[in-house]
Amino acid sequence: MTMREKIEQAAGRYPDQRSAIMPALLIAQREHGHLPGAVLEEVAEILGVERIWVYELATFYTLFHTEPVGKFHLQLCDNVSCMLRRSEDLLTHLEEVLGIKKGGTTPDGLFTLSTVECLGACEMAPVMQVGDDYHGTLDIERIDALIARLRATVPDTTGADLAAAEPPGG
Amino acid sequence: MASVTINGQTVEVEAGSTVLQVAQRLGIEVPTFCYLKRLPPLASCRMCLVEIEGLRRLQPSCATAVTDGMVVRTDTPLIDETRSAMLDMLLANHPLDCPICDKGGECELQDMVMAYGPGKSRFRDPKRVFHSRDIRLSPVVIMNVNRCIQCQRCVRMCEEVVGAVALGTVEKGMDTAVTGFEGSLASCDQCGNCIEVCPVGALMSFPYRYKARPWDLAETDTVCPHCGTGCQLTVGARKGEFMRVRSKEEHGVNRETLCVRGRFGLDFIEGHGRIKRPMIRRDGALVPVSWDEAGDHLRRRLAAVESKAAGGVVSPRLPNEVLYQFQKLMRTVFRTNNIDCSSRWSTPFAALAPLLASYTRAPLEEVIGVDSLLVIGCNVTEENPVTEYLLRDAARRRGARLLMLSTRPSRLDADAEAVVRVPPGREATSLAALVAALAAAAGDKLSGDVLAALGAVTGSATAGNGSNGPDRLAAALNDGGTVTVLVGVDLLRSSEARVALHQLGNLLQLLRRLGKNPALQILFDRANQMGAWDMGALAAALPGPQAVADEKVRATFARTWRAEIPAEPGADLDTMLDLCVAGQMGALYLVGSDPLIAYPDREFVARAFGAADLLIVQESFLTETAALAEVVLPAAGYGEEPGSFTNNEGRIQQVRKFRQPVFEARDNLAIFDFVAALGGQTVQPSTQIEIFDEIARVIPAYQALTWTGLGADGAFTKAGQIPPLGAFHAPPVASHASDGLMLVTGNCLFHNGYLSERSEILNTIANDPYVAMSAEDAVQLGLSDGDQVVVRSTRSELTAQLKIEKSFPKGLVFVPENYRSLRLNSLLRRGEYPCPVEVQKAETAREIEGRNRVWRGA
Amino acid sequence: MFEPVLLKNVNVPEGHLLSSYEAGGGYRALGKALRENTPDEIIELIKRSNLRGRGGAGFPTGMKWSFVPKRADKPKYLCCNADEGEPGTFKDRIIMERDPHQLIEGMAISAYAIGAEVAYVYVRGEYVLAIRRLEQAIEEAKAKGYLGARILGSDFNFVVHVHCGAGAYICGEETAMLDSLEGKRAQPRLKPPFPAVAGLYASPTVINNVETLVCVPHIVARGADWFRGIGPEKSPGPKLYCVSGQVRKPGLYELPMGIPLRELVEDHAGGPLPERKIKAVIPGGVSAPVIPEQGLDVGMDFDSLAAAGTMLGSAGVIVVDDTTCMVKVATRIIEFFHHESCGKCTPCREGLNWVVKVLRRIEAGEGEAGDMEQLDMLCKGIFGNTFCALGDGAAMGLRAALAHFREEFVAHIEERRCPFH
Ligand SMILES: Cc1cc2nc3c(=O)[nH]c(=O)nc-3n(C[C@H](O)[C@H](O)[C@H](O)COP(=O)(O)O)c2cc1C
Ligand code: SF4
Ligand code: FES
Repeated sequence: MTMREKIEQAAGRYPDQRSAIMPALLIAQREHGHLPGAVLEEVAEILGVERIWVYELATFYTLFHTEPVGKFHLQLCDNVSCMLRRSEDLLTHLEEVLGIKKGGTTPDGLFTLSTVECLGACEMAPVMQVGDDYHGTLDIERIDALIARLRATVPDTTGADLAAAEPPGG
Repeated sequence: MASVTINGQTVEVEAGSTVLQVAQRLGIEVPTFCYLKRLPPLASCRMCLVEIEGLRRLQPSCATAVTDGMVVRTDTPLIDETRSAMLDMLLANHPLDCPICDKGGECELQDMVMAYGPGKSRFRDPKRVFHSRDIRLSPVVIMNVNRCIQCQRCVRMCEEVVGAVALGTVEKGMDTAVTGFEGSLASCDQCGNCIEVCPVGALMSFPYRYKARPWDLAETDTVCPHCGTGCQLTVGARKGEFMRVRSKEEHGVNRETLCVRGRFGLDFIEGHGRIKRPMIRRDGALVPVSWDEAGDHLRRRLAAVESKAAGGVVSPRLPNEVLYQFQKLMRTVFRTNNIDCSSRWSTPFAALAPLLASYTRAPLEEVIGVDSLLVIGCNVTEENPVTEYLLRDAARRRGARLLMLSTRPSRLDADAEAVVRVPPGREATSLAALVAALAAAAGDKLSGDVLAALGAVTGSATAGNGSNGPDRLAAALNDGGTVTVLVGVDLLRSSEARVALHQLGNLLQLLRRLGKNPALQILFDRANQMGAWDMGALAAALPGPQAVADEKVRATFARTWRAEIPAEPGADLDTMLDLCVAGQMGALYLVGSDPLIAYPDREFVARAFGAADLLIVQESFLTETAALAEVVLPAAGYGEEPGSFTNNEGRIQQVRKFRQPVFEARDNLAIFDFVAALGGQTVQPSTQIEIFDEIARVIPAYQALTWTGLGADGAFTKAGQIPPLGAFHAPPVASHASDGLMLVTGNCLFHNGYLSERSEILNTIANDPYVAMSAEDAVQLGLSDGDQVVVRSTRSELTAQLKIEKSFPKGLVFVPENYRSLRLNSLLRRGEYPCPVEVQKAETAREIEGRNRVWRGA
Repeated sequence: MFEPVLLKNVNVPEGHLLSSYEAGGGYRALGKALRENTPDEIIELIKRSNLRGRGGAGFPTGMKWSFVPKRADKPKYLCCNADEGEPGTFKDRIIMERDPHQLIEGMAISAYAIGAEVAYVYVRGEYVLAIRRLEQAIEEAKAKGYLGARILGSDFNFVVHVHCGAGAYICGEETAMLDSLEGKRAQPRLKPPFPAVAGLYASPTVINNVETLVCVPHIVARGADWFRGIGPEKSPGPKLYCVSGQVRKPGLYELPMGIPLRELVEDHAGGPLPERKIKAVIPGGVSAPVIPEQGLDVGMDFDSLAAAGTMLGSAGVIVVDDTTCMVKVATRIIEFFHHESCGKCTPCREGLNWVVKVLRRIEAGEGEAGDMEQLDMLCKGIFGNTFCALGDGAAMGLRAALAHFREEFVAHIEERRCPFH
């Protein structure tokens, strides 16, 4: 299905097109990696809704990114339950091994590191979400193993390859 | 009814009132930020919290409906403390850069802190600064995000009142910021209503920024010169120099709103091209002369052409007093009824008269508070924006059913229950079809003879090709109760104007017979068109307007004016031009009127002017018509002479003077004196106030009005007696609708007539001149949005940028008539409107110099 | 031993599949309700069971349903609140991931009771697995006729749609959720009108938490008396407790309402980590005021906790031990609320910003005399004056921390450093 078709299908679940902006943005973000202005305009056009409404939602909700993010978005929970399980140490460690600060993206475009509010998985604190997956009861060793695994899924990370793999419109 | 006690005072109020409304009624002040009378309550600022007996928490008075027996306090220590805490928290993050803030001195936050704030802030941590620079959202709107207090008045205004949905709110929590799509308002209406309602200096007017402090401004309350809505506004000037316009929260048809033209388009008065001195034509060229020299020349020339016909055309933008005096001058000094008051069409007085007799002279707000609103023949969004705001409100919040019947689509269609798209120029046919459909829907409700009378005249009329045709519209009219009919000037522009007005008459008659008690107002695109008619600046009517042919009327005026009045109705605009072409016109006297650019046949009007013996132009700007004149008399412009306008509602309001006429310009009234004196005559009385008093004596609708009685909201002229029901008019002769492209003209949002083109601000805001057409036609012609296209008629052609309008029907081509450079009227041939055209891509994208002004953000 | 009811299927392998659910007796309650009961009888049954909402406020569910107008010319909607944003809470996720059919059955019966034919489950966007499982379960249920037209041969038609959130805690507030569903920025709405009268698309709407809805089939199957017999009569039923933080066995526990907090933390969750002592427990997600160790004998139900000055909230039990600085915990919590404030009302948006600034300073050893009074003042300005309960929750929590652990705050200010470093 094309993005337009997916969005139109999602819109069918609601009596009002405006309701479909959120699902449409999720679809568009999966397609494009992030949500630049041109994509927002396209969403508005597909749904026939005001552009500003789309823009409002794209900036209100934290899961939407109007700026590009790395291929792997490391979202480390630092809310109370994870904090009590020392997620701070993991943050420091990640900053060290990736050579970036919280909020930054590695120069190769592979990793973006963020802290997020409670992920709703406190039983396995400290927790980190990467893409669709949760990784729980983390410690430094597990983090290192995870980073290594993620790296291994990318064949050869030369800058050229990545530039080519950049989401369209980025 | 509910009985409510606030601070010990008990009142009976309507159930459903809010605590705040009741408090205000009792004169108890409750501070508010987010509350705005015409918007639904938001209750987010928490300034208006009050104590209600029996409730644990403080309640927002703006959003709390009273209940019977409710006991409220607004003056307890807890409330004082809470208000102070809210202000303290707001101030804690507010920049406090009041000395350089445009709002300083008229800021609601400042005022509120004075009245309710903490003596001293308890906070000492650094303030939030999340945008270090002001953001230029559009040519006229600039935003200082740090100052915003999140009352959301602007965003709600933009969406709910203006309907533009251009402003929005991004991010959340402390990062929340008001802005446009991707930080730009480049494609909004630029009405600036967001600026007006901003309580602090967050949204600011860019043209006014840093120009003046509020206390240095001399402010004058007056009426907007642009369209017939007649909005109240306040002009701020410093040492006679125009600075800004504000709306007046509590006054006028518009209250706190204006449109882009009213708020930003008054700087035309500073525009270039003012006529500095009188001019006369010598050896083919206009040369500046003194008033005396001009007088000598004019006296000689008037004497020379005395034996021929004379005629006068006056602009419907001029005040009532000027219009009245002009027709009196023409009738009593020039001894002619050859008078008209539009440069674009001849006024079909005979067809109008019965409609004007039942014109509803009442506040629009009341007129639209009814069951059904039928809007005919205009793009109200672009031509009368502030009227449109009220119509939207009626549809969205007051439950009126909105019904549209027009050629051009408008934004209001989205709020309408039924829309009929009229094929270009087929207003008469569409109205006839509506009448037929309504008669069919009403069926038994009509008596047999009415049906028979109608049957004879309706025949097999078919209306537009709208998505939901006249049947739905007729059904809605038939189902509903009271109907208000608002008619735009498309009907007058049409070459079938007379027939269209007759059909409108049929519709109103039918509605009356169905007990729908129809109200009628016309949505004029010129500020004082209503006044111009009332003042009798017409060939066939004396002030009232009352038929010249009516001997009794004539006798009354003859007595008042102590002069003979020619008995025969005079020549209207078309006929005057015919007289010119036939070599029979002596003096043609144009006051503020510019037919050369506006008359729908440039070639013809130029020929006519060339053939008139003596062309006199009294104007403030050197128009193209003035450039053709033999004598040019510099007149005071808007804001340079006092007077009154009568708006679409029949509301008469003072237009005040806020500066002296520039250069050697004189008041229009003084110039009439001057011209009359050339022949040794006078037109008495001749001062504005005296003329107003005479108007109030001789025009029935204006009876008993006093100049000082025109308060901040003006006063209403009186409606006449609704004439008895008469016969129905015959339907238009069936003609064949053409399949080709049809050019229709009208006003665009950013301009109104040609004066607004002298506004520097409007010119920076408005797009280049454009040609609008449907996507379907564009695709068929291989054109895309933004292409330079040529529009060609049998007469001439023009080049402009293509704007594809998704909502346009096939076959419709629209070009705004407000751009002088386009010479749009050179494509038109009189009597042939709308005009068949061809559109194609311009061969070489012709550079139109200095016009590439589409604003794309800073 | 208490037999789990709500979590019965959770540890069954492949328990999320329809076959497993049916094998455990799933969808029988729906059949029973459709066959044997009128919608009004279901509402009565739920009223008699004393089921109270598990989303946080504990509002009686049957009563909420009865506010829905019986006749309405508009469609009615059921919305399941699966936004689960309250820090310390993860119960709804586990149900949706491992036993989604239980929720669907609960929704179907509830929708039948209120007369809704369309439901939306508002799931927070991070819960990707839960969303997939739920969507898969909806497809399975449709195929088997548990959803769709004329369900199980009755006249009842019902569809469920999943709506993904996109990361905003405020969407858990029921009216903000409605705005979010309508495609607007999620901000709370004015009440009245209440959602039961004019909610989603201005139609009558019931909003219930996941756990509330999954109680429904069991009440239908086993009766109101059974439900009311578990735990305190006014606040009864099996309850999911999410235990996290500094305990040996964090996890999701199903136990009766009213069980003492101490028993939950020390017995079921294994007590403190080795060599540590419990200092305080937050009993119901971070909106709930903290309880110092001495108070742990309180019963875990709506009324007992309210009487103790705190609340059951989402039953997100967060355990804090004696190695942890309470100023740091309080700061982190306020930072959360500040970050998640929707920005609509002044006291929450502006006030929390100042609270954060002051707390961060105190935590960093830069506190000053007067800071404690400033915090007290701010709590006073915020509490009770905000538009929705988010700001209240923040202020209440801070007040409790300031009250119970004042000396820790004062020590930071006086010593100009964190005593825990
Ligand atoms: C700030 C805030 C956040 C909330 N978050 C949630 C939530 O994540 N999940 C939930 O079920 N209820 C949440 N609620 C409670 C809901 O507003 C609502 O009371 C609940 O969904 C009703 O369902 P119930 O009656 O089944 O408990 C929240 C309330 C507030 C004020
Ligand atoms: S308390 Fe106010 S700002 Fe905070 S979340 Fe609620 S409405 Fe939004
Ligand atoms: S005016 Fe009532 S809350 Fe703002």
